Amino acid sequence: MSEFSDATQVTDERDVLIELAHVDKFFGDFQALRDINLRVGRQEVVVVIGPSGSGKSTMIRCINRLEEHDAGRIAVDGVELTHDVRNIQEIRRETGMVFQSFNLFPHLSVLDNITLAPRHVRKMSRAKAEALGMELLATVRIPEQAKKYPGQLSGGQQQRVAIARALAMRPKVMLFDEPTSALDPEMINEVLDTMKDLAREGMTMIVVTHEMGFAREVADRVVFMADGEIVEVGAPEHFFTDPREERTKAFLSQIL
Amino acid sequence: MNARTWARRNLFRSVPDGVCTIVFGALGLFLLYKTLNYVFFTGRWTIIQDNLKLLMVGRFPVAHLPRLAVSAIVLAGWAGFLAGFVRGRQIRDGKAPAHVSLARRVRAALGRIWLPCTVILLLLLLSTTIGPWLTALGAAAAALAGWLIGPFVGKRRLGRAGATILVLAVAATPLVLYYYIVTAVGFDGWGGFYLNLYLALVSIVLCYPLGVLLALGRRSKLPLIQTISIVYIEAIRGAPLFVLLLLANTALQFFVPADVAPSKPARAIVVFTLFTAAYMAEIIRGGLQSVPRGQFEAARALGLSPTRQTGLIILPQALRNVIPAQIGQLISLFKDTVLAGVAMGLFELLEVADAITQQGDFRGQRLSPEVLAFSGLLFWTVAYTMSRESQRLERRLGVGTR
Repeated sequence: MSEFSDATQVTDERDVLIELAHVDKFFGDFQALRDINLRVGRQEVVVVIGPSGSGKSTMIRCINRLEEHDAGRIAVDGVELTHDVRNIQEIRRETGMVFQSFNLFPHLSVLDNITLAPRHVRKMSRAKAEALGMELLATVRIPEQAKKYPGQLSGGQQQRVAIARALAMRPKVMLFDEPTSALDPEMINEVLDTMKDLAREGMTMIVVTHEMGFAREVADRVVFMADGEIVEVGAPEHFFTDPREERTKAFLSQIL
Repeated sequence: MNARTWARRNLFRSVPDGVCTIVFGALGLFLLYKTLNYVFFTGRWTIIQDNLKLLMVGRFPVAHLPRLAVSAIVLAGWAGFLAGFVRGRQIRDGKAPAHVSLARRVRAALGRIWLPCTVILLLLLLSTTIGPWLTALGAAAAALAGWLIGPFVGKRRLGRAGATILVLAVAATPLVLYYYIVTAVGFDGWGGFYLNLYLALVSIVLCYPLGVLLALGRRSKLPLIQTISIVYIEAIRGAPLFVLLLLANTALQFFVPADVAPSKPARAIVVFTLFTAAYMAEIIRGGLQSVPRGQFEAARALGLSPTRQTGLIILPQALRNVIPAQIGQLISLFKDTVLAGVAMGLFELLEVADAITQQGDFRGQRLSPEVLAFSGLLFWTVAYTMSRESQRLERRLGVGTR
């Protein structure tokens, strides 16, 4: 990928976990993604920022086929995303996703939300899955809520359960689609702290967010998108202090 | 608050309020007086008492009535067992309290079943033989025994083979009972309120899965399945139930030779099932549409297979969201079983009720109000019990708590 000669660009082929090459995506006549090229290495944290409608969410939703890309190549850990249902299922097993609106299952208890996929997709026994679930609830710091239902929790707690639910599949990469945008301000930090813990433990993460403080503190690289294109990629220290592209400067001047 | 202030606040707040209270209060008292007077004094209920057997089981041969009694007792034990089994599971999953005092338990049970129990008691008091009493007592004892045994069976003591045998036995029980009765008295010999209940119950059990499949089919991405579902639903919903019943009664002989054609009750069950399934499908489709998109996405993102997405995530929420409409449709089905009498000549409750007013002793005495009131009471009791149970189910499943 010669477009990004940045020092932080992943170079070693074996360390590439996610690869997007020349990806296009259309919604009808509207082109949502234009020639997206991005490689994410193992244990790397990539934060995607940009104005709304710039294709950030669409890009990460293409990675686990919640949206279907129209051209180009997407691969997760060497498995290319094709129309083959088995490939899609395999990639979904390896990628955890956290949504803006949590999307917990309201008819299941917190613990059942977490153990559902391990039991039915990984065929784990109920006892083992529940032990794993309790362990994950402890890491997101709400083990006491296991028997409650999602509707009984605060937004921040729900989002942390959603993170635990995604982690229960032991994914190789976590995709975060604006995880704090639907939260009341006082709950944003508890979710960001959980995400920081994850990053520290070496989880590969792609995070779409408007939290610039988080980007600065945690990201290995920041990706700026506008109009369906990747405009600029850089390490946070350069990106926020010395952006190269005009569109990046304009965006940063608006939000900082 | 004493009675005076309560009355002033709620009944006589203003002059128009006071007038309304007096007028409608007087009207209400008048109707109540007339009703009670009719029920206890002027009503000639001997026609019910004399024909109780006909009303309940039609022309079922007396010699074979013990078979019905045995079936009722077995079925009560079976239902009690299932209820106990489910309860045992809920306790183990921590969804129901393990220890409830006997007094509270009895109160809760009475709160649920006082109405059917009262009506059954009324029927027993009207009966002139000992058989119904023995049956009722046996059924009550069997239900209680089943309920007490149920929780213990679920504790994985049986092993895989034992569990399989148990599931098969539970599933086969209604079938075995059906053949137990039908070998003695052909299906065409069934009648009375018992036939209404039977038609409704079997149709409900059969139409539900069909309705779910049709609803899913209508939302399927496969054009063939979608088209079949749409055509089926729209064709059936466009036809009056009465016409379908008449067709099943008369037109079937064009296609099937008379000696292999199914019996009339079986045809009625097929019509009720197919008809109600179309309505259920649309109700369930409404439920499916009420499940937010995010639920589908979360289920897919976890790597669940399409079958599991539907079975574990979407359907449970969809069905829960439309319980009131579903039960409404099933209550409709139950009441519509009287149409099978007129359309197909089945000897169900309303046909019996009509027939007994023509009997020698009662002819020309204008006894229709008595028999119709009695029939109405039976239907209302069952329908209202269904409605109450659905409300209970809604509360249990926590509709509206998201």
